[in-house]
Parts: sequence; C-alpha cells; structure tokens
Amino acid sequence: MIKLIPNWAKQSFRLFSHELKRGDLTIIILAIVLGVASVFALSGFSEKIKQALITQSSSFIAADRVLQSSRPLPHHHLNSLPNEEKPTLTRQYLNQQSTKLNLEQAQQVIMSSMVFSGDKMQLVELVAVSKHYPLRGELLITNATSQNQQIAHAPELGTVFMERKLLTLLGIKLGGSIEIGNSTLRVTAVADQIPDASFSVFTSGAKIIMNINDLAKTQLVQPGSRVTYKYLFAGDHNAINLFDDLVSSKVNDAQRWYDIQSNQTPLAKALNRAEKYLSLASLLGIILAAVAVAIASRRFTQKHRSSVAVYKAMGAPITYIRKLYSLHWASLSLFSISVGLILGYVLAQVGLFAIKGYLPVQAQEVLSGSFSTDIGLFSLGYQPVLMAVVTGLLCALAFSVVPLANLVATAPIITLRGPQPIDEQVSFINKVSKGAIPLFALLLLLTLFSKDLILSLRLLVAGFIASLVLFSIGQVLMSFSRTIGTKSGAAWLLAMANLKRRAKGNSVQLVSFTIAIKLLLMVVVLKSALLNEWQEQLPLQTPNFFLVNIAQEYVEQLDKFIEEHHIVASDLYAVVRGRLTAINSDKITKKVTKEQNNGTDNGRQGLGRELNLTWRTSLPKENSISQGQWWSKESTMAQVSIEESLAKRLQINLGDNLTFQLGSNQVKVPVTSIRTVNWQSMQPNFYMIFSPEVLADFPVSYIASLYVEQDKKLLIQRFLTHYPTISLIDIDAMITQLRKVIDQVSKAVAFVLALVVMAGCLVLVAQVQASLEEREREIAILRTLGAKGRLLRNSVLFEFAALGAIAGLIASVSMELTVYLLQSSVFKMQTSFHFDFWVLGIVSGASFVGMVGLLSCWRLINLPSVTLIRRTM
Amino acid sequence: MTLNSEIILKTQSLAKSVSLENKQLNLLQGIDLSVYQGDTVAIVGSSGSGKTTLLSLLAGLDLPSQGEVYLKGKPLHQLNEEERSQVRADHVGFIFQQFLLVNSLTALENIMLPAELANNVSAKSEALNLLAQVGLSERANHFPAQLSGGEQQRVAIARAFITKPDILFADEPTGNLDINTSIHIADLLFDLNRRFNTTLVLVTHDLSLAKRCQRSVEMKEGRLSDNLTISQNNEQETSLTHRSVTA
Repeated sequence: MIKLIPNWAKQSFRLFSHELKRGDLTIIILAIVLGVASVFALSGFSEKIKQALITQSSSFIAADRVLQSSRPLPHHHLNSLPNEEKPTLTRQYLNQQSTKLNLEQAQQVIMSSMVFSGDKMQLVELVAVSKHYPLRGELLITNATSQNQQIAHAPELGTVFMERKLLTLLGIKLGGSIEIGNSTLRVTAVADQIPDASFSVFTSGAKIIMNINDLAKTQLVQPGSRVTYKYLFAGDHNAINLFDDLVSSKVNDAQRWYDIQSNQTPLAKALNRAEKYLSLASLLGIILAAVAVAIASRRFTQKHRSSVAVYKAMGAPITYIRKLYSLHWASLSLFSISVGLILGYVLAQVGLFAIKGYLPVQAQEVLSGSFSTDIGLFSLGYQPVLMAVVTGLLCALAFSVVPLANLVATAPIITLRGPQPIDEQVSFINKVSKGAIPLFALLLLLTLFSKDLILSLRLLVAGFIASLVLFSIGQVLMSFSRTIGTKSGAAWLLAMANLKRRAKGNSVQLVSFTIAIKLLLMVVVLKSALLNEWQEQLPLQTPNFFLVNIAQEYVEQLDKFIEEHHIVASDLYAVVRGRLTAINSDKITKKVTKEQNNGTDNGRQGLGRELNLTWRTSLPKENSISQGQWWSKESTMAQVSIEESLAKRLQINLGDNLTFQLGSNQVKVPVTSIRTVNWQSMQPNFYMIFSPEVLADFPVSYIASLYVEQDKKLLIQRFLTHYPTISLIDIDAMITQLRKVIDQVSKAVAFVLALVVMAGCLVLVAQVQASLEEREREIAILRTLGAKGRLLRNSVLFEFAALGAIAGLIASVSMELTVYLLQSSVFKMQTSFHFDFWVLGIVSGASFVGMVGLLSCWRLINLPSVTLIRRTM
Repeated sequence: MTLNSEIILKTQSLAKSVSLENKQLNLLQGIDLSVYQGDTVAIVGSSGSGKTTLLSLLAGLDLPSQGEVYLKGKPLHQLNEEERSQVRADHVGFIFQQFLLVNSLTALENIMLPAELANNVSAKSEALNLLAQVGLSERANHFPAQLSGGEQQRVAIARAFITKPDILFADEPTGNLDINTSIHIADLLFDLNRRFNTTLVLVTHDLSLAKRCQRSVEMKEGRLSDNLTISQNNEQETSLTHRSVTA
C-alpha cells in the first residue's frame, strides 16, 4: 500500500508533519486559522445577530413584513374587471405563497372611532386584530384576576383590551362594557405593552384592541371610512426574503410593503448602521488575515529556499519539487482551514451564547434555528462554512502563489554561493501579473463578502494607492530618524542606523504595520463614533412622555407643576389642526386615484389628512433651513416653512402660496423656507411651521415632551386626573427597548472588534517574526563581536518601537481620512475628528511592535553565540 | 567530439563572466580540465580565485558563458536546467561547506532523500547502513539542529554516497569544522570514496586536505595555473592538461 504513494508525496508529508511538530509552521497556520475562524465567526455571528436583532426589533411592527393598504385586499382576481384594473395582490395569492413558505400571518384593521361608556365618550384608535397577532414582540396585558402581566394575542370574541388611561377617561373598571359602533364589548384587560404602538406623537389617541371577527358587528367600516388594513407576515429569515421578492414587486401605489429597516425610525437607522459596521469590520478582518498570510507565506518560502536548492543540486526535477511543495502547502492549508473552522465555530458559539441572555425569546429562537441540538448549540448554516473555506483557500493559494513560484524557481547554485537576492530581472509585465493574482483574489474576497463590487474596487484601489504613499513616507521618515539617532545613545544609534540601512525592507514592514494599525484604529474609532451617536440620540433624559391636547387655560398650571417637580420638559408647541387645500391655484384633491395621477387632470395629490400646524418665532432645535430663510423676530409678514421631504413629495417650491382650511376659515401663505427635520429626535416635530401672526387667532391646544423619572410617574398621572382632556403618551417602554437593542448591537460590535484586533495583532507578530529572521545573522555577528545583550536588546526594542511609532502616526493620519470618507458617504453620519486616537495609534504601535520585537529577539539574544552563528549559516 | 571513455569530466575553454555595473567581470577564463574515472582531484586556491565558480560549472549547477563541459559524456553546457538536473540525479553527489541538510528532516531522512529521488525502494535500509558507517546510528532520528557541525557533515557525507554516484563534488567539506573534526571528516570522506570507487572533485583552500587527493590544481584569478607541487603520493600519472591559458 505504502508503495502506491509516490516518493514526492511521502517526502512532502514528512516535511509537513515534522515542521508542524517543530513549530516551524505556527505563524502561517495561525494566520490562515485566524482568517478562516474570523470569517466563519463573523459571518456566522453577524448574520445571526442581524437576524436576531431584526427579529427582535420587528416587534416594533409586530411582524417581519407588513403590507399596509387603505383598502382591503380582494380575496381573488375579479374576472369582470378589465385586465389593467386587476389588483396584482390578492389575499388568495398571499395565503398560498405564505403557506408554501411556512409563514405565519395576522391581520390588523385600524381606524379612529368614538367609544361610549355610559355618558362618557372618547375618540380612540381602534385596532382589530386576528388570532395570531402579534407575530413578533409581545402584547402584555393585566386582567382583573391577576396582578401580573401576561403575554396575550387577540382578545376573545366579544371582549377588548384597552390602554390604562382609557379606564379613567371612560370611567369604567375591568369587566365593564363599552359601546363600539353598533356592538357592546366587555373590557377584560389593560394593554400594558402594545408592540407596534406608533412612534408618532400625533396618533389619534389611546388604543383599544379588539378581535377582528367582532368588527363586522360594529358596522363601523362603511364605504368611504378611513381605515388602514395591515397584513402581517413572519417566518424564517430565508423564507421571508423569498416572500419579499414575490410581494414587493406587486405592491401598488395605494399600498406600502415594509420591514423594520425600511421604517424611518431611530431603531431602523441604528440597525442599518450596525449592519454596515459589522460588514465593514468583517471586511477589514479579512484584509488583515490576507496580509498575515501573505507575510507568513513569504517567510515560509524564504526558509525553504536552501532546501529547494539542495533538492535541485541532488537532481530533483522541477516538477518533483513543484508537486512536493504544492502538496506541502495543500496539507498546510487543509489543516489550517480545518482548525480555523473548528475555532470559528467555537468563537461564534461563544459570542452568540454571551449575548443570548440579552435577547428576547423570539430572537433566541432565531438564533437557535430549527436544527439546534439539545445542548443548546446554535446552528450556523452552511453559508459561513462556505465563506470561511473559500476565504481560507483564497488566502492560502492566492497570497502564496507568487512566493511559492519563486521558491520552486530557486536556483541550485545557492548551495554553493549562499542565499542571493531573487533575480530582479523579471519583466515588468511579469511583475505586474504576479502582483495581480493576490490583488484579484483580494477583490474577489471583498466582493464575495460585501456583495458590492464597486465598494470592493474602491477599497482596493484606495488601499493600493495608500500603500504606495505609505511606502514612500516611511522611507522619508526613516531617514529622518537617522538624524535624531546621531544625537542619542549607542543602542538608539544602532537602532536608527539599522532602520536607515534597511529602509527598503523596513518600508515593506512599515506598510504592513501601518495597515494593521490603521484598520484597527478605524474599527475602534467607528465603533465609538457609532455608539456615541446612538447615545446622543437617546441621551439620559430623553423625553419619555408626551402631553398632547393641552388647552390654553391649563398651560399655566402645567408650567407650575413642571417647575415644582423639576421635570425636564421641551417648549410648549401650539397646535392647530388644518388641511392643505391648494398649492398656488391648484386645488388639492382629497384622494388621488391612479387615473388622475397619470392623466391630465390638474388636481394635485395632497396628504389626504389633517396636519398639525404650529407657529414659532425661532427655528426649533433639530431643524435646519435647507432653502430660503427663517423669518426675523420683527417680521410681520404671514409665511410658512415646510419640511423638505413633504415639499418634495407635493412639489412645493419657495414662493409657492399654500392655502389651508382651518375649521371654517381659509389661510393663504407663501412658502419662505424649506427645512430638514431630524425625525429621530424625541421632540415634537412639524411639517408646517407658520410665522406667529398667522395662527394667533385660532383656537389652539399645546403639546410638550417631558422626561419623567420613574418615581415621579405617579405624580404626573395624578396631576393629569384633574385635566382629563390632556392626553399622556407614554413612550418609556419603547425607549427602554430601543436602549436594549442598542446595547446588544454594541456588544455584537465589541465582539467583532475583538476578532479584528486579534487578526491585526497577528499581522504585527507575523511581520516582526519575519523581519527578525533577517536580523538573526546581524545579531549573531554583533554578539560574536562582543556586543552586550543589553545593547542588542535595546537596539531591537528601539528599532521596532520607532517602526511601530512611525506606522502608528501614518496609520492615524490615513485612518482619519478614511473614517471621514466612511462617515460622510457610507454611514451618512456626522463626521468628527479623533486626535485622541492618534495618540493611541502611535503609543500602541510603538509599544506593541516594540514589545513583540523584543520578546521575539530575547530568545535569539540568549542563545549561545555558536548556536546563533550556526543557525544563520 | 568523442571523449575518451575513461574520462568522466572534461572541460574545454570554459569561461564564466558576469556583468557588474556595465563592466564585464571575468570569473573564469579558458579552463581545460579532464578528470578520469576514480580520480581524486583537489582544486585549490585563495578566496575569490574562482574555485567555487568552477565547481558550479563542473556540476552543472550553473552554465558557462563560453566553452564546453562534459559530464559522463553529456554536454552540460547545452542542456537546460531540467536536463542538467537529470544528469546530477544519475551521476552526481554533493558535499557542501554549510552541510545544507534539510532542517526539518531527521538525519536518517536526510540521507534517504537522494535515494528516494532515484526511486530506490531500499532507501531506508541503505540509509541506515550508511548512517552506521559514519558512526551515527544513535542519531538517526535527530534533526540537524540537534547535531554538532561534525555530525552534520557526516550525515551530509552519508547522503552524498547513498546513490553511489559516479562523481562526488565536495565544496570545502571541512571549511566549517575545527582541526580534529576536519581530520576525522576527511578520513571518512576518503575512506568511503575508496570503498565506493567514486571520482572525487574537491574544492578546498586547505593544502593538507588537497594533499590527500591524487592530484591538485590551483586556481589563480580565474585561471588554472601551473602549480602541481602539492601533488604528492600520486598513484598514477596526472592526466591533467594544465597550461596557462591566454584569454
């Protein structure tokens, strides 16, 4: 049997097993292992985390996907309609597809309505839900029999859940009855937490949740009623994506198809950014791993040159050597990839396990997947494995192909002449084509991972140019350090002389040190910038309550109350409700049909609803003027400022005259400015803000946002019982949940960061190791000439520390540029400068590179001179 | 040209030059040398005289700029790298000044290596046998770094003889060793050489080592000079066609 194995294979295995045991392959194996492990862990982990977070955040819309429509979907196609009139989405179709994909479904019908209890009545938001609502998140209720909160779905037929404040407003107790439309329903529980409670401050009021099958009895839905229909879907990540593909293309203008990320909520934005960050960090991790492999494979081939020369001197044909080393490398890659997969799997499991506790039950189900085992391991799917193996192979092959080709081409003459520089007389084209292989592989890797060719190309070209610039800067800086060196002690002098003498080789090292430090700094800086921004969005005293419908006569009492109890409150905003009826001379139609929209009719599409209008003397915080000018305090001219996206939607320009219907009156004002509004701020925000004169004579109510500490909640509730017309909107639960999500994202980000840092450190270690070998002979000579260990140690320490510091400095500068570009173009967040991280870059670069250099050479310096000399021969 | 069947190595007007900073530097010029089967020939000369360059051309490790070199009748100067490799595999053994053992193979595996290259099925037993002959049976599984310089060179000698080469090239085989070890290594080398009846071409600047060869030639500034005085104890008439060659 053994004779079947050719000699080259036997020798190859022999080399591999000996070198493995002797630790000769440790660094290169570590590089590949880390590359594979980090890709595996990152793609497994961040994909899972993303899914889990989205699932958890999806509780804000109570589903994974929602189809919202102002009309109910027809059950099936009506054959009587002409073809172009056929609705593309029918309930039959959605049912069939979602059953096929094993999706859960629920339905909501939402409308505003008056409800009555005895002689009391109240405008409420009526939410009729089907059996399985909510599909994501939890509906928490408290019923009369138990004080504890329970998870609930749709109420039983004939019963409703209502928000607690409605009990007061309607003056009833649990078990009491209310009239909704033509039916009488019993209130069985208080809805404490409604997962998809709106983010909007101006929702029509407190919610009542009823069973959808009771809706017909109420006879509330009549032709022309303003009703919103929501079809909710949830299920496995892949199935939902498939479903999304099917449905999204068929959605018409009167419908909206959305998930949590397409919602313009602070949460969606946080999630999108976190996702981008995780992918970017993973990309950087891959680049670092590739750099580590490239360095280590170069070192590997250098170490094997004399062996190849001996083989050749003994008459081994080039094909024999090629086969021998290909197999050697293949064994090495296979081994490393396997270890990497195992390690990556463990890392991903540890990472997921560590944050598991922070995720709610549904998200945990997503994490575990349907194939989880009894001991609670997370199933990661085949994709991370595939990605990791491809990464490992690409790293191991593409980044080693040139060094290996050089190795195989080693001339046998070096057995007699000693190592010589590799023949530099290769043609330019040859050089370029050799360099193109790893670059192409890197591009392939980046594209595979980011699924964005343009982004990958940009990263690569930018990286390439940056490396060239770094290379040149490095050489200049190192010659400069020589001048400093002459003014210092012997060890420093020796170190600086070495730096200068090895300027070219050191520039290569410098590039890899710089890349590693830069990428690390980038990941750290972006992390802290993201976290800061999230924290800023939800500062400690983020308003957790909104007061709406504050009548003019209560303003004074409210002010007093706020002052008395030291409550943090926003300004009071006056609110007048009105409808936009005309833009210039164009009348706005109430509702636009398709034909009108596409046809020649002059009517313009309006909002179809009343707007909350306010007036201000000064521009509110979180608003900025994008066109035109804000009015001066002295100005008496009637004018209006409009929010940018609405202006765009209604094609309103500066100077246009808008006509509003306010009760029985009409007001006509010119648009003098267009504003951008930060809708993410937990402040009252408005589409239309008027100059003070315009609305002054209209009856107003006021709105304010407050931050009420936990212990003062009862106070404000008690205060408000005296003013039953004031509505209190409690968004505390929502804010808490938002904080929780951001917390989890931060943890995920920290975990990814740790992996990237490991990859970065490995690059540094691999590079120090590689460059130390070049120094071995020199250390041997100096040692023989009587140089003291201390001098050698210090010179190595200084040389590497100087290299690290220079790398840190260049890395900081280029990090700053890159982060600026990323913040402004990719993350679309405010740009910032990070000079404190420059210090971190320089100091950590100097100390880490210096320490690794010192530790690695410690062993060398402590070897007896004879051994040292023999090693280097 | 037909070669005398007894001649194993022959050069004619062999020259090697390199261009350095646009200048032509002549390393070797007009070397004519014939070595007979079974000869032991020492090439001596000071550092930089071109000994090693000559050895690299004789063994086909490098190509001459001019002239011809035949090994076992094969025109090395006309062969490409692969063909020269084949000639080396079939006929040549090497001993290097730096020993050049493969660091990640054991002593035994290092010795087996050329035999395995030649597809010798009894590589292991022959290697063990040779290991015993160089007195290192105990060290079979030691790696080069665990062996002394002398021991490493003994392994290298065993490695050189395992394929029973027709000709053995030795480049300063004792150059890295102390005097006592050198003598011991030289004894071993000549002993095995005699036993295997191998032709030996030895490059050295150690005259005492050169004296142990049947013949010696001296390199001076890239040429073979008329110096034969160190040749003693010659058992046969020198066949060296030595002459001062004019460029």
